[in-house]
Amino acid sequence: MKTRFLVLALATGAIALSLFALWTVRTPRTEQPLQCLDCHRSRNINTNEGIQSSQAFCYECHKQPDCQRSLGTRKVSLQVESADFRNSRHQYVACIHCHTDVARSPHKSVLGVQCLGCHPVGGDGPVHSEHLRVRCEACHTASPFVERDQPGGPIKLAHVTPDGVPISLAAHKQTDVGNKEFCDRCHHAGNMVGAPAAVLPSKSFLCIVCHYSPLAIGHPMFWAALIIGLIGLAGLICFWFRGSVEAEKVSAHKKLSLGSELVWSKVFSREFFSILKTIFLDVLLQRRILAAGVRRWAIHSLIYYSFLARFLLSVFTLIVQKTSPGSQLALSLIDKNNGFIAATNDVLGLFILVGVLWALLMRFYVKPDYVETKEQDTFALALIGLLTLTGFLAEGMRIYITGIPVDVAASSFVGYLCSRLFALADLGWQTVYGYMWYFHAACWAVFIAYLPFGKLRHIVTTPLSLLINYKKA
Amino acid sequence: MRRQNLEQETYQRFSVLQRLLHILIAIGFTGLAITGFARAFSSVGIVRALSWFLGGADGIVSLHRFFAVFTYVCVVVHGLWLFYFKIILKGSLTGRGSMLPCKKDLETFLEHVRYFFAQRKEPPSFDRFAYWEKMDYWAFFIGMQTMGITGLFMWFPEFFSSFLPGYFINLAQLLHFYEALMAVIVKMFIHTIVVTLRPEVYPADLSIFTGKVTKEEIIRHHPGEWEAMSASTEGAAVVKKETT
Repeated sequence: MKTRFLVLALATGAIALSLFALWTVRTPRTEQPLQCLDCHRSRNINTNEGIQSSQAFCYECHKQPDCQRSLGTRKVSLQVESADFRNSRHQYVACIHCHTDVARSPHKSVLGVQCLGCHPVGGDGPVHSEHLRVRCEACHTASPFVERDQPGGPIKLAHVTPDGVPISLAAHKQTDVGNKEFCDRCHHAGNMVGAPAAVLPSKSFLCIVCHYSPLAIGHPMFWAALIIGLIGLAGLICFWFRGSVEAEKVSAHKKLSLGSELVWSKVFSREFFSILKTIFLDVLLQRRILAAGVRRWAIHSLIYYSFLARFLLSVFTLIVQKTSPGSQLALSLIDKNNGFIAATNDVLGLFILVGVLWALLMRFYVKPDYVETKEQDTFALALIGLLTLTGFLAEGMRIYITGIPVDVAASSFVGYLCSRLFALADLGWQTVYGYMWYFHAACWAVFIAYLPFGKLRHIVTTPLSLLINYKKA
Repeated sequence: MRRQNLEQETYQRFSVLQRLLHILIAIGFTGLAITGFARAFSSVGIVRALSWFLGGADGIVSLHRFFAVFTYVCVVVHGLWLFYFKIILKGSLTGRGSMLPCKKDLETFLEHVRYFFAQRKEPPSFDRFAYWEKMDYWAFFIGMQTMGITGLFMWFPEFFSSFLPGYFINLAQLLHFYEALMAVIVKMFIHTIVVTLRPEVYPADLSIFTGKVTKEEIIRHHPGEWEAMSASTEGAAVVKKETT
């Protein structure tokens, strides 16, 4: 009785198991292509032996002269000369390390070569963060033909020349990126990939106040601005330390020594908290301007907080990009088309513009008694206004010429509106964009150079005098 | 050991720059020690936790280099200040108030040892900087140069091995580690104990933070300096005389 029960149970189990096996085999696997390495022994492509054997496996077919694929009626060679590849930088990398989606059936690459598994975006060189919509190989491969197959899609290497002749990209030849000529494949007048006609310099570190920027001063224009600004600042500091203390003749050192002693004794005392209070209430929250009137505070805050917020955002971006390049957060932050970044920058830019216009309105039309307008006030306001305006115009042109699709571009709503305006009539915006970029950059260079001389000096001096007079708060 | 009812006449011993640099260097040195030993003993359990916290092996290397540059910048600033002191302020870098080692240091050291073994009734008459203070200073000042060079060897091995034999990198690795061990023992144990737990100064000698020493402290700890100050009013220590 017991034996019979056991046999019955075993038989039922065996039938159920075979039915299950049959069901799994019968289930069609149409969604996922068959992966070769699911069944074939997978090599460890992190070892030299694995790389050699993996490469040998690919060469088995790809060394043959008749290894080709058809492109319409024409044939493109996919023959890889092993001598070519052995001399390249990637000679110790397995083919499937970069061509990640080829080891499968059907044997066809959809994603193309994957560089970002090893190389972070924008990890080296300021040029990368401006080219997030361009695939790596479009610039780094020797083949000069690039294309964009759909509007707003990535710019990539073309598989056919403009005349329709197929190109073999199997040579794996890289460009000398130190050579500026490789920029010209996109950056020429009348290009079809939506690049500005001129090769523009990279942003300067001075641009960090509003934009994520690399750690280099860059263009001579910025060097000049920085040097003038620093000389002015040095002059300002020298002026503060002029005059004698305790009836001495040469007293700069004495002043420094007494001043630093005073700062030290304040920082390491209970007064430090009242200084913190001053920093928070007077410098950050602008209590004194608020006391002078809500409208004045609103005008100043529209400009001041917008600059501050953009500065903090770009510094945060810089830190994230330097500490974890290639991370999802860093990629989103450096991408100016990213919804959050684009919208934030546009909103803040708009605030600055509104603040400037409001201030100009007050100064020239309303003219309240307490406002005394000098030339330097008008100049500072006009400079900031021009800066923001050219920024929006340049953004609009960029959105128009690079053909960013509306669902992406809509986040930068001011820039998108401008781009619609430019779309009304194409007056060679690809060329104009370069000039607009330079104009915007020049406005900022003037801002930096002018900082210690005119009205803008208050950015440095007012917080300092508030701190020095913290007891009067 | 401190008698508060004595006359509290204070003199400046360290300028603000020296105080600031001391704090910054202490931070930089501690950071270097933590990140450096986390590199050297990466397999120890607690270090693995720390390593995870500091962003893995790469994060630790970046932090170590950051602290290295940070600390060395402090050394450079100090060097610049020495030039400023000598050339613009026309100060003297030699003499009784100097940091330079001299024959008297050896004598005071021997006298001090004799004092420890009760061969002498009174401690020797130390100048502005006693021999162990000079040791502390020079150990760090020279150590920063050698640690800096061996560290640079490991930071830019391609550059250095382009004109030096490759085993210099291995040597640098070895020397960097053993010197680090020595430096940490000297700074974290000997220096810290000497400025805190020594009965003369217990609970702590705070002059490097306040910048001030009282008359009593000078007379007790640096009698040689007090002699020099009394002998001529232009003593190196008298920069600013205050009464609090």
